[in-house]
Amino acid sequence: MRMPRSVLLRVYGRSLFLQAAWNPQGMQNLGLAYALYPALEVLYPDEVARSEAVRRHLTVFNTHPYVAASIVGGVLHHERRIARGEESPDRVVAFKAALMGPLAALGDGFFWLSLRPAVGAACAALVPWLGGWAALLFLFLYNAVHLWLRARFYRLGLLLGDGLVNQPALQRLPRWGTRLRHVAAACAGGLAAGLAVQFGAQQPGAAGPWLAAGCVGLGVAGYWAVGRRLPHTVSLFLAACLAMAASAIL
Amino acid sequence: MTVEWGQVLWAFAWGGLCAVERRGFLQAMVSRPLVAGTGAGLLLGDVQAGLYVGLLFELYYLGTASLGASRPENDTLAATAGAAFAVGLARANGAPSVPAVWSLGVLTCAGMGPLGRWMEMRLERHAAGLLGRAASIAEAGQLRRAVRQNLFGLWPFFAAFGAVTALASLAGQLAAPWERRVPLELLRGLAWAYPAMASVAAAIAVRGANDRRGHLYAGVAAVAVGAAAWGAGP
Repeated sequence: MRMPRSVLLRVYGRSLFLQAAWNPQGMQNLGLAYALYPALEVLYPDEVARSEAVRRHLTVFNTHPYVAASIVGGVLHHERRIARGEESPDRVVAFKAALMGPLAALGDGFFWLSLRPAVGAACAALVPWLGGWAALLFLFLYNAVHLWLRARFYRLGLLLGDGLVNQPALQRLPRWGTRLRHVAAACAGGLAAGLAVQFGAQQPGAAGPWLAAGCVGLGVAGYWAVGRRLPHTVSLFLAACLAMAASAIL
Repeated sequence: MTVEWGQVLWAFAWGGLCAVERRGFLQAMVSRPLVAGTGAGLLLGDVQAGLYVGLLFELYYLGTASLGASRPENDTLAATAGAAFAVGLARANGAPSVPAVWSLGVLTCAGMGPLGRWMEMRLERHAAGLLGRAASIAEAGQLRRAVRQNLFGLWPFFAAFGAVTALASLAGQLAAPWERRVPLELLRGLAWAYPAMASVAAAIAVRGANDRRGHLYAGVAAVAVGAAAWGAGP
């Protein structure tokens, strides 16, 4: 059965609400059923068959929300075959169960632990030059990658079904992730030094160099202390107290 | 003193929208501290305050992520509430914000991260109720209505997180008379606290980058940027 393009677009649009009713019992299941429903309406005109289809997507489902687009596409691929009688409903259940874990790990590693920190740190480092525009640049850079990959994953899932796991687009993500983590670390270090010098230069008299040097020293000490599992909040408040004490002395 | 209720309403709307974006719609990172803080500053009338409070929380929470069953602190609430507090404080005093005010915003709202995490966990019970409701509606044959329950999971987040952000804005405005009585020496100390906290937040960010050689990259970049900035002079 041929699926109208408008329905495919609706499913993609609704998949953006995947986590709206995330809950500890079913996790993203309600979101998945919500996303798929327009397609299930087309594929199963019979009320009973449609009800069964909805129910098989109300079982536990949880994966990375962006990479989930490929599973949503893959589920549609399978549901089309099920509706044509070419495969049993067990296949789509097995497809989801097999892919949601590995794809979650892939998505977490690339998007949450690499792309987001790298773009966040790079744009934060540009704040002294760009001001508020750095926030807009963050949205543009991050979403250029995010939305493009999300649409591409959906298309791959639709076209390939199970075959999407062999796609280079997915396999290349870990390598890119490693490079992006270097960028995040470098930008955070550069920003710390830049802010220390900038704020030091704003201080009148001889206090400026002391403030700049003190901030750099606190950064190094903070790196060491966090590595020794000192709670982040304690580190932050300790830095504030030390700076206030130093300002009273100098 | 008079309270600017328009500001409180804007803070409510922005805090709620960011919570919805973070929770369940699109997740285009409008809710990241850098963007959420700057947006709050823009809407409430002091971009600088929002930007610098957001910048600090962006670094502080750079490496946190919701992985598997783990639930990180709510960086969005910390940024929106911190920015709303700082802007409310500065505007009520009739002056543009300064680093001392940004520090007060950060220090006052650093605890919002854990609070937001706790609120998220409480509100998920409501979402679990929606799942049960959707199942019973589906049993009754109303499939379209059943799957639409998904969207009702967003409203409690909008209301709860919007309310906390609005309260932060109100608290900032109410704290203004107190801030005017703070001795100049203490204000100077708070101004120094901002870059100090930013340095520590950057160190946390380097750790959070999850890069085995992150300290090397950060160190080289810090030396290069520090030398260039120092050489350029004031």
